[in-house]
Amino acid sequence: MDSSHDGWEPRIIAFLCNWCSYAGADLAGVGRLQYPASIRIIRVPCSGRISPFFILSAFRKGADGVLVSGCHPGDCHYISGNYSARRKFALLKGLLEHVGLEEGRVHFTWISASEGGKFADVIGRVTETVRGLGPANQLVGKQWRA
Amino acid sequence: MNPTDCSNRIAEEAGRLLTEGTVDVVIGFEKGSLPMRSTPCFVRTPQDSGKLVWNSFCSSNLSRYLKQFPGKVGIVAKGCDTRALVELIKEKQVNRESLVVIGVPCRGMIDGAGVLERCDGKRVSDVEERDDELVITGDSFRITLARGDFLHPACRVCFTGNPVLFDVLIGEKVQEQARDCYHDVSDFESRSPGDRWAYIMSEMDRCIRCYACRNACPLCYCGECFADATRPQWVGRGATGTDTLAFHVMRSMHLAGRCVECGACRAACPTKVDIRTLNRKISSDIARLFDYRPGLRIDQPAPLSSFKPDDSEEFILER
Amino acid sequence: MYYKTIKKNEVGRFLDGLLAEYTVVAPVRKNGVVGFDAIQSGEEAILDFSNTTASPKGVLMPQLETLLSARAGEEEAVEHTGMRKPVVLFGARPCDARAFMFLDRVFNDGIARDVYYGNRRDALLIVSLGCTRTRDTCFCTTTGGGPLSTQGSDAMLVEQGDGYTVHVITAGGAELMNSRGLSDAHEGVGEEIRKLALQITAEIDPPVDLSELKTSLDNSFDTAAWQTLTEKCLSCGVCTYLCPTCHCFDIADEDNIGVKVRNRIWDSCQFPGFTMQASGFNPRPTYRERHRQRIMHKFSYCDDNHHMTGCVGCGRCVLECPVNLDIRRVLGSFRGRNGG
Repeated sequence: MDSSHDGWEPRIIAFLCNWCSYAGADLAGVGRLQYPASIRIIRVPCSGRISPFFILSAFRKGADGVLVSGCHPGDCHYISGNYSARRKFALLKGLLEHVGLEEGRVHFTWISASEGGKFADVIGRVTETVRGLGPANQLVGKQWRA
Repeated sequence: MNPTDCSNRIAEEAGRLLTEGTVDVVIGFEKGSLPMRSTPCFVRTPQDSGKLVWNSFCSSNLSRYLKQFPGKVGIVAKGCDTRALVELIKEKQVNRESLVVIGVPCRGMIDGAGVLERCDGKRVSDVEERDDELVITGDSFRITLARGDFLHPACRVCFTGNPVLFDVLIGEKVQEQARDCYHDVSDFESRSPGDRWAYIMSEMDRCIRCYACRNACPLCYCGECFADATRPQWVGRGATGTDTLAFHVMRSMHLAGRCVECGACRAACPTKVDIRTLNRKISSDIARLFDYRPGLRIDQPAPLSSFKPDDSEEFILER
Repeated sequence: MYYKTIKKNEVGRFLDGLLAEYTVVAPVRKNGVVGFDAIQSGEEAILDFSNTTASPKGVLMPQLETLLSARAGEEEAVEHTGMRKPVVLFGARPCDARAFMFLDRVFNDGIARDVYYGNRRDALLIVSLGCTRTRDTCFCTTTGGGPLSTQGSDAMLVEQGDGYTVHVITAGGAELMNSRGLSDAHEGVGEEIRKLALQITAEIDPPVDLSELKTSLDNSFDTAAWQTLTEKCLSCGVCTYLCPTCHCFDIADEDNIGVKVRNRIWDSCQFPGFTMQASGFNPRPTYRERHRQRIMHKFSYCDDNHHMTGCVGCGRCVLECPVNLDIRRVLGSFRGRNGG
């Protein structure tokens, strides 16, 4: 995939759970850690709240990549939300790859409230992966393209 | 048991249940209006029980009709149908106590359309099932075909021809095929992502969004389907490749751990879209990751309603 | 009205000739399913099939048609009401050609003209393929058509020997067939085709008196029989979507990434949401009311509204209904009824 799209910056939607990952992102900010300005964060109460619809919708609306991040298993504010999420996303990721969605567009991580540094690293990694793939258009219908 | 004997036994059983008042209605099949078609029927009197038939063209999953019959119901069910029953009972959509399951061991259903194609468009007047052969008679021709060559795709990979739940069993149990053959999934995955995408999109382009697949599915019973919702609207309703793909991906995610692979969806589809590839992938992952197969035991919790602390994290980027 | 002739192995080249001036929509076989599609070369078209799974109505009424679109930053929305490039629909069966006559009455009845349908219609010529064989699901003669009926066609191909006799019917048909190297047909071919029509018609079940049926249906709206006749219906859209005369649609506004569109998409009276009202009340809550509507609309209301039965007897709904709910059987139970 050619990554030399002039002036194009990846747009990545990040679904972050309120209690851990969002707080971790906040900590990165407070700590003035630098990371690419490619993500747009959507805060959800829990990673278990995230429906596969959200991920598909993000791509249908033109997102180049999606990141989903929740509390580490065992640390969920709602006890077991991330356990459900873990099973759901394992299946969704497998399914999206099965249909031939470019690998590297969807990512799942566990980031805790104290992992500001990890958050910045993850965003850096995901941005570079998505940049390498170029703009996403597989799930954007022809009627929407310029 | 040959189709005629099966039909007679089912009719007898239904007649008995209706006479005794054990059930208000028996859901089964009667002879269709076309060759190689059986059609669902709802028998309410002992006299009508003679209509009931069983043959290799009973591909619909009759569990789909249970929600429209409150009260005591008898249902004629092959292996996959009974697996759907297990799921419906587990999800509290159907009461086990108000069901009488007339289980029929199944060697796989025949895709009549495939047979018709082999007959070159000539009219078929009769089909006789003889063990592993189909004898087709029609407009000045008569041919014998191997049954195994014309099975519905879902039946080729079925490992539950025998009912998993029943009150009465019609005939002898059948020999099951090898279990858990997900070769179709691994074969597909050995193709490049570009190839897979091209195949999937060409299948999606054939879909006309008639929702026959969804409506034929016993586990798709939502009062309002996400596909029909407009506030918010998750998928466009036009038959555009990408919206259609979104519909099928989402539907198969909703069926994750619940799809019993009966193939009623594919059998219902007028343009023969390969929808099952999505469900097969999910079933294969669920079998591998969570050691679970839907519809086998009522006491097994559904995989997406349960978890293990050490569930696979192979897909996680950073732990 | 006159006859020309073309050999089977010349059809591809003939279509290539048409492709220079027209978009040609013809039957093609893809992954084992026969359907109508725009072809890029004459050899893609097949004429060796019974009928396509889906009808050709998409040529005039696509499953999704954008009526209006607007882009962020632009002042005016674009109305997609422009004139259309000429299209030849090639290889449609006589029942399908006749169905366009019905759709014309809905969308362009002299009082109101649907501009989207109308523009496509004005640009369309139909070359049908007469039926020299029938399926056991065909009942075109009951609805006023026939295996070699010319109704709705600009020209019709009839298979004879190793070629086709081309019946040139309208001026539009003449435009397509003249000066394209087709030979004149022999004397007496018209009579041969008339005899052939009688022969083929004998294969189809004898026609049913539809006006008698209409009276019976009109008297049977509340009969309890509708419940049992329709209870296996899945309320999917197979019958309506494959049907060449069904035409219900919905208008769907969607927006995405700075573009807003107003689309017309197919809808089906069989879908539960079809008559759902904003209050949440649904006057057709179950399969019973919805399927009754389908039958009454096609075999009674369309006669009243359009003076033509809303069915051409193509039999697709019979063949493809996932549960074999046979419209002929439903109608059969109303024949000879006096209501109640």
